[in-house]
Amino acid sequence: MKHWLPLIAALACTPAVLAGQAAPPAYTPPRTPNGQPDIQGIWQVLNTAAWDIQDHNASLDVPAGRGVVEGNDIPYRPEALEKKKQNYASRATLDPETKCWLSGVPRITYMPYPFQIVQQADKVNILYEYNHTLRHIYMNGNPHPEGPIDWWMGDSRGRWEGNTLVVDVVHFTDQTWLDRAGNFHSEQLHVVERYTPAGPNHMLYEVMIEDPKVFTRPWKMSMPLYRRVESEAEVLEYECYAYLIEENWNKR
Amino acid sequence: MKSDHMLVVAVAVAAMVSLGAAMTASGQGFVAPGTTKKGPGARTWLAERAKLPPYSPPRMADGTPNLEGRWGGSSSGDDVEETEQVDPTTPPWESYVSNPANGRIPYQAWALAERNRHRAGLARGVAGETGERLYTDPQTYCLKSVPRYAQRGFELIQTPGYVTQMLVWGHYHRRIPLDNRSRPGADAKFWMGVPRGRWDGDALVVESTNFNGKMWLDSVGNFVSPNVRITERFALVEANTLDYEVTIDDPGVFTQPWTLSYRLRRQGAGGGGGGAARDPYANEGWEHACHEGNTNHIDGTQHLGFKWFTPVVPPRP
Repeated sequence: MKHWLPLIAALACTPAVLAGQAAPPAYTPPRTPNGQPDIQGIWQVLNTAAWDIQDHNASLDVPAGRGVVEGNDIPYRPEALEKKKQNYASRATLDPETKCWLSGVPRITYMPYPFQIVQQADKVNILYEYNHTLRHIYMNGNPHPEGPIDWWMGDSRGRWEGNTLVVDVVHFTDQTWLDRAGNFHSEQLHVVERYTPAGPNHMLYEVMIEDPKVFTRPWKMSMPLYRRVESEAEVLEYECYAYLIEENWNKR
Repeated sequence: MKSDHMLVVAVAVAAMVSLGAAMTASGQGFVAPGTTKKGPGARTWLAERAKLPPYSPPRMADGTPNLEGRWGGSSSGDDVEETEQVDPTTPPWESYVSNPANGRIPYQAWALAERNRHRAGLARGVAGETGERLYTDPQTYCLKSVPRYAQRGFELIQTPGYVTQMLVWGHYHRRIPLDNRSRPGADAKFWMGVPRGRWDGDALVVESTNFNGKMWLDSVGNFVSPNVRITERFALVEANTLDYEVTIDDPGVFTQPWTLSYRLRRQGAGGGGGGAARDPYANEGWEHACHEGNTNHIDGTQHLGFKWFTPVVPPRP
C-alpha cells in the first residue's frame, strides 16, 4: 500500500481539510487494561446520512437533513456524476441495501442501527446490528494483505494517534454505495476513518474518501457518534436478508 | 499467497452454501475440505471428560475464569443425533445428545411426526422420503441460531460486563451481557434469540430466550418452537479444551429437557501448520460474505418448489 502514503500525507497537509476539521477535543478517555484509549460501548449516529450524505429536503419517508460531506460537494468525475444521477433515479431497485448485502465502509457507520465496539490488544472489533455485520480492525502489525481482493467491508488496519483510532481501509468491491441517494465508489476506494473521543458519551467520526476512478480528489465526511446511554442499551438484530428472503418467498 | 488461498476458500465456502441442497442429494454427510473434523460424540466425550483431573482455569484481571480464545467447531455433522450412515457398511457417528442416554431427541409424539415430515420432504434422494419438496435447511440461506452457531467455531472474548462471541462463518456475532438485565417481552422474537450470561463457579452459563423458531437445529429437520429456552454451559476442562453443554427446554415440544454435549478445542492447539510463525495472517478471520453470493440458491430452491419454513407452534395441551 506504499503508493497511498504520499496521498494521505498530502491530504493531511491540505489547508482546506484542516480548515474544516473540528479542534482536537480536549478529552482524555479512560484506558483499557491494555492501555489503549477505551472507546468500547454501544454507539449510533443521529443524522440523515443513511438517506443522503449531502444536504437534502424531505420527501416521503425521507427526513430532511444537512449533509455530512465537508463543503457539501462531492468531486465526481463527469462520467461518474452521470452514473450517480442514474443511480438516484433507479435507487429503488439498484441500491444494494434493497438486496440486504453487506453495506461497506463507511456506509455501515451511519445506517440507523447501533453498533458495539469491543477492544482487544491486537484488534478493535465493531459488531453492527445491521445484518450482524462484524468488522475486525487489525492492530497486530500486519500490513494490508496483498490485493486485489474484493471484500464487501474491505480490509481494516488500525493505529492509535493519541486518543484517536485511525483506520485505513482498502480492498473493496464496486458493489456497495455510500447512501440511499446513489452516491457510489469503485473497487479502488480507499477510506481513512478517524474515531476521536470527544467526551464520555461522544466521539467525532471523520472519514477521508479517495477513489481516483470516481472522484477528482479526496474528500471528507464528519459527524458525531453518540453513545447509547440507556441502562440496558443492547445491540439486538436486524437480519435484513432473512426478512427479505421470507417476504419475497411469500410473494411468489 | 495468503490472499489467493483465502479467495479459494471463500469461493469454496460460498459454493458449499449455494449448493447445499445439491451436495446433500447423495444422502451423505458433506464435509468441505479444511473444515473441522468431527469431534467425539456425547458418550465418548463424557467418558473422556470424566477421566480428566480437576482443572482450575486461568483468571481475568477481575477474577472471572478466562475462557478467551479461538475455539474450534462443535461438529461438522449435519445431524445432532448422527443417525445417518455414510454408507451401509459404516456405522453411524455417535450422537451429540448426552441426555437422554439413548442419544435421541425426546420429542413428543406429534413433534417427532413433524420432524419426520421435515425429513421426508428434504428431497435428497435418501430412503424414506416422500419425494415431495418441502423445506430446505434454513442454514443454506446463510442463517444461524443457537447452538448451531458453534458448529464451525468462534472466538470468545471477555470485557467488563460482556462476553462476546465472533464467528468467521457469515460474520455472525453474539453479545452476552452479564449484568442480569431484563429480557425483551416474550412477543419480541429473534433469529439468534436474546442471551443473558452469568458465572456459575468456573462455568459461563448463558440462557437464551425470545427465539423465533425459524431455524433448524441441524440440516435434517430437527427443530424447536419459539417458546424454547436454551441454556449453554461453557467450562474450561483443560488448557485447550472447552466443555460445551447445551440444554434445550421446550415443554410444548419435548417430553423432557435434553442436552447436547460437545468438546471444543482451542484452534491451533495440537495441530501442525506452524500457525502465525509461518503465516502472519493465520490468526486473522477474513470476510465470509455469504448471502451476497447466494441468489442462485435462493431462486433455485424456490423454483424447485421448496417452501419457506414457518415456526412450529405446539398444540395446546
